[in-house]
Amino acid sequence: MRFQDAAVDARAVVYAGIQADPLVAEAADLLTDANPAQRVLARAVMNGESTDPAAWRTMFPTLFGGAAEPALRARSEAILRASLRVAERGEAVRSQFRGAIVESLTERLLARRAGPAVRRERRILFDGVRAEIHPYDVTVESATPEAYDCKWGARGINPEVLLQLASARSNAATEGVELVVSLVVFDAHRSCLVRLARLGGAAGGMGLVALETLRGLARPRPAPAPPGGPR
Amino acid sequence: MSATVESLTARTSGALEAVAVVAGTVEDEWQYVTDLVAAWSARLATVGSARLDEMAPEPVESAVDRVIEEALLVTDPHRAIDWLSTLSQVVLVALDERG
Repeated sequence: MRFQDAAVDARAVVYAGIQADPLVAEAADLLTDANPAQRVLARAVMNGESTDPAAWRTMFPTLFGGAAEPALRARSEAILRASLRVAERGEAVRSQFRGAIVESLTERLLARRAGPAVRRERRILFDGVRAEIHPYDVTVESATPEAYDCKWGARGINPEVLLQLASARSNAATEGVELVVSLVVFDAHRSCLVRLARLGGAAGGMGLVALETLRGLARPRPAPAPPGGPR
Repeated sequence: MSATVESLTARTSGALEAVAVVAGTVEDEWQYVTDLVAAWSARLATVGSARLDEMAPEPVESAVDRVIEEALLVTDPHRAIDWLSTLSQVVLVALDERG
């Protein structure tokens, strides 16, 4: 098996512009060291209707209340500001930004343990197998390669994604390569399990990284846990 | 204001049902919407039962009421599906509980 850059089609050009937006990098940087509650804050604000920061501070007393440590509060304020700027982009654009932020966050976390082996928008080619059209959002191109598909919400998990990941793992095994495949979903583990159950469950060997366990991407493997496994 | 944790989780479950009415209009996702409401309502009920008579501090009650208000602002059914998950998570964070 081998990795290859994705084709540069019209979609890729448009999306590359979003990925390169400084706001994506800013949000991803802030979320890299965020705690689970701060990630919920970002998710809520980027999904929300209100653009008044005071309203969001009221909703998160553990992050903005009087008992919050100054450093926690400062990072929470920065996450709130960045998230509001995403929310203010309008529905269509913010949807693209949210996806790009999850991918960028995944890239940053993986880079902490895998450095330059982490790549974006790469296809995986197997001998004698027709190439998948869609590239993987993030890959780790090392002795034990890894492929990640990133989703903003559990609803983004669909049969095609599960099939692509399972097929890649199976095709790699045919070539004697252990390919780690995983979903990264910026949503609650519980919601992901609900979605996966509706789709008949995840294939064996496929990992699931949810909102609560994102920082595990930065830790040395074995990771991540299987979808129904321990968190 | 003064409310028990159990009353706040019950309020949230009621709001989930209201958001589900909006979300359920996405025909292909009706079953997923139903499953999400069931899963999160069960989690909220577990928290409510475990902390049945515990009084919630005023900021926590304000947080729950405000996030319910936020969720009920959503009129787009696709965003409502997202809020079925988000609403419960925000409430559980306010209650210092895991998702």
